Amino acid sequence: MRFLPLILRNLGRNKLRTGLTGVAIGLAVLLVCFFLTMPAGIDVFLSQIASNVRISVHHKGGLVYQMPFAYVNKIRAVPGVVAADGVVWFGGAFEEAGHVTFPSFAVEPEHVGAVWPDYHIDPAALERFRRFRDGAIVGRQTMEKYGWKVGQQVSLRSTIWPVTLTFRIVGEIPNARSPLFWFQREYLAQAIHEHGWTLSIVGIVWVRIADPALVDGVMTKLDAMFRNSPAETAAETEKSFFASYFGSLQGFVAIILVVTGLVALCVLCIAANTASMAVRERAREIAVLRAIGFGRGLVFGTLVAESTVLATVAGGTGALLTYAFTAGVKLAAGGWSTQLGPLSGFLVSPAIVGQGILLAVVVGLVAGIAPAYGAAHRPVASVLREVF
Amino acid sequence: MAEPLITLRDVSRSYERGHDVVHALADVSLTIASGGFVALMGPSGSGKSTLLNLLSGIDRPSAGEVWVAGQRLNDLSEDALATWRARHVGLIFQFYNLIPVLSALENVELPLLLTPFNRAERLRRAETALRVVGLAARARHLPSELSGGEQQRVAIARAIVADPDVIIADEPTGDLDARSADDVLGMLRDLSREFHKTVVMVTHDPRAAHWVDVVYHLEKGLLLGVEPGDAERRA
Repeated sequence: MRFLPLILRNLGRNKLRTGLTGVAIGLAVLLVCFFLTMPAGIDVFLSQIASNVRISVHHKGGLVYQMPFAYVNKIRAVPGVVAADGVVWFGGAFEEAGHVTFPSFAVEPEHVGAVWPDYHIDPAALERFRRFRDGAIVGRQTMEKYGWKVGQQVSLRSTIWPVTLTFRIVGEIPNARSPLFWFQREYLAQAIHEHGWTLSIVGIVWVRIADPALVDGVMTKLDAMFRNSPAETAAETEKSFFASYFGSLQGFVAIILVVTGLVALCVLCIAANTASMAVRERAREIAVLRAIGFGRGLVFGTLVAESTVLATVAGGTGALLTYAFTAGVKLAAGGWSTQLGPLSGFLVSPAIVGQGILLAVVVGLVAGIAPAYGAAHRPVASVLREVF
Repeated sequence: MAEPLITLRDVSRSYERGHDVVHALADVSLTIASGGFVALMGPSGSGKSTLLNLLSGIDRPSAGEVWVAGQRLNDLSEDALATWRARHVGLIFQFYNLIPVLSALENVELPLLLTPFNRAERLRRAETALRVVGLAARARHLPSELSGGEQQRVAIARAIVADPDVIIADEPTGDLDARSADDVLGMLRDLSREFHKTVVMVTHDPRAAHWVDVVYHLEKGLLLGVEPGDAERRA
């Protein structure tokens, strides 16, 4: 600590340069902190849309492969399984809106309420869904997007099966972010039967487990149950399923992390340049300090401390600003998750602030090492020849 | 006769400059008594500064031995030499070489940062040193707010604050007007006489002979002769 005043005075000798470098480091750390919210934000987003007691069971080879429908009942018989619903991808296109598609599935209506209780679907709607063969339950996002109402009929042309089906909307999934379109499996089975096909397959089996603690064990048991069969399975949590499903999202996160790394590298170069200039300008002073007894380690330490103090203060300020910004937005929104929806996951947490400050410290340390080492190891006599 | 504080035995120093070898100092032997005030004089390139570097442990001889304050400097590592300098040597430069962002008091305090003294003790000693050189009233001023003579007095205070055995001064009057130069030379003589410090000074200033005990003349790296200074003659 006794050398801190010396370090601070040296930082203050060229205020413009120190200030500009500090601003560059601060902005970079601020940017990095925002970028670092991406993986966590996506994780929170996935957690919001996924249940921790729901798993998907699909073909080990991928979602394009199907499993025998008989698997569904076998899965229901496994201890720990509360309910299971086998779904088949329909790939329905809404021709009236320009051939748009959205996630449309044939499901078993009698199991929907038990597998997705967290969707809070009106029991009366579920009852209608069970009763009407052409009934459909639609997510609120899709309902609002096309201005659909309960009771309305809509036609979807399948991009998978050689059929166009007309559905009666009997209820909605009351979630503004849900694009789902569910209809009865039996309806699809009858429609394709007219083409001489039998619906004996299932694409995904959604399974609800009794307790989160049982999830891993049930997944292992299910995969073991179908091992060495013609259609081996891969069970995964709903969160993991969505993470894989949104594969492009992961790619985006990877790009963000690469950009984050490049930003860190840029700021490291800026800080190193500043440290290098500071040391070069003070070669005589450093030589004098060494001449009056400052050892190489001490000179090295104080010079590295200069760049570290600058980077830490600037980076810490940048990190805290991001924290204050998201806290301010949260306050202004008056309610984090309700008002901001999926954006609520992109929160600068204390852990991210800590990572930002750590980055700043590392930048300061690394940036200072090379010039400080050079200054500390240059022969004093050769520098002092210029002084004497 | 006082005990010798500095002894050089057959000291040579040569540098490689490209493919050439420059002999800056050749077979110099001398002794300087404790408490003595010595001037090294000679033309540019005569080896004065090289000799000063060797005495202060900033440089190492190519051959020969350098003994200062009972320590054979040849034996010390780079870091050990730095520690030794902090304890035994006070340095004064021609262009003062104060740290421009530190006040006079903080500049004087610098060598004490290497001691175990706490801040209060360091400041007390730094203030005392500034009082000795007559600059207590200017303690809070930055070097840029001081005249050349005042800056050199701050440098002298910095050189004596850690109570070294030897004070090495490289042309301490080279950048000063006549009056300031006399002040500085008088101060160095007082350090020798009153505080029993051994002062070795490189100078081109012919008036310096008036103040010192002994003058060593060097030329082309050789010690040509020794003569008593006026102070010694008066004594």
